[in-house]
Amino acid sequence: MEELSVSSLDNSKLEAMAQDILSDLVEDACLGLCFEVHRAVKQGYFFLDDTDQESMRDFEIVDQPGLDVFGQVYNQWKNKECVCPNCNRSIAASRFAPHLEKCLGMGRNSSRIANRRIVTGNNTNNKSESDQEDNDDVNDNDWSYGAEKKAKKRKSDKNPNSPRRSKSFKHKSSTASKTNQDNEAHAPPKDSYIASSRPVGMMGPRRRLENQESPRMLMKDEAFSQ
Amino acid sequence: MVVVFSLFDADRLPNLARSGISPTNTMNKEARLKASINQKLTETGERDRLKELLRAKLTECGWKDQMKAQCKDVIKQKGLEHVTVEDLVVEVTPKGRALVPDSVKKELLQRIRAFLTQHAS
Repeated sequence: MEELSVSSLDNSKLEAMAQDILSDLVEDACLGLCFEVHRAVKQGYFFLDDTDQESMRDFEIVDQPGLDVFGQVYNQWKNKECVCPNCNRSIAASRFAPHLEKCLGMGRNSSRIANRRIVTGNNTNNKSESDQEDNDDVNDNDWSYGAEKKAKKRKSDKNPNSPRRSKSFKHKSSTASKTNQDNEAHAPPKDSYIASSRPVGMMGPRRRLENQESPRMLMKDEAFSQ
Repeated sequence: MVVVFSLFDADRLPNLARSGISPTNTMNKEARLKASINQKLTETGERDRLKELLRAKLTECGWKDQMKAQCKDVIKQKGLEHVTVEDLVVEVTPKGRALVPDSVKKELLQRIRAFLTQHAS
């Protein structure tokens, strides 16, 4: 049986075969598009991208001074005031957040302030908004920690070992510590041991005999005096 | 008994007649060869790659928009409710073939030729 191979074909047949494959691919692309369009038509979204020129004019972006993009009159100062949803007052935008906190009573001390305001509601109606806010600021104790700060004592005064002590104090303590060091120098060393009658092979700390004193090193002065 | 009708005339192809190769055999051979090439194209995934390349190139050059415009005309003629896939295929496919740019055809033909020469055994 003969082998089927591309190499046996001449150039003309090879070209014809390539053309056939290309035409198949183009056919596939056309069919795919037809199916896609038909589906879009039946589903109802094929004509969605069609726009009418007259309707487009209605929705054009407006670029004129004094008007926003929708063509409506733009008031420059109107948006700088907000209406409180709780008390329905018109408040400057810069003061709206602090007012709302105190008005709704959601902050730390604001709930107490709000309750106080409810109790004394009749008196505050006569006052202006700014006066009320000033009053609230006085009552607001979030930032008043001056008294507490004064009441606290410095830890460094109590603790002599603190690294932040004054120089004079440091000097005094250094003289005192010198005398202690001198006394300790003449005292017998704590960890000195004498030879005991143990076997040589035994390792470990040698115990001090009961009657014997622990030997100590002689200082220079003592050595010369002897 | 099966009778095979040949498309070729023996008088027109004296060489084939003399050599003892009948036209039906050559047709079968070519058909089998084409089938094997198509099988290789599918197995290696080259057909899908070529399809994607063609689709991308056609979209890039604006062929798809032109075809959609043609489809809109057909839909308006036939009516939105009455249009079928067959109507679209019959009306649009010949125009679609004609509208494919030569540059895209050349590029794809080069790819196909490269595949054929590569898989020549």
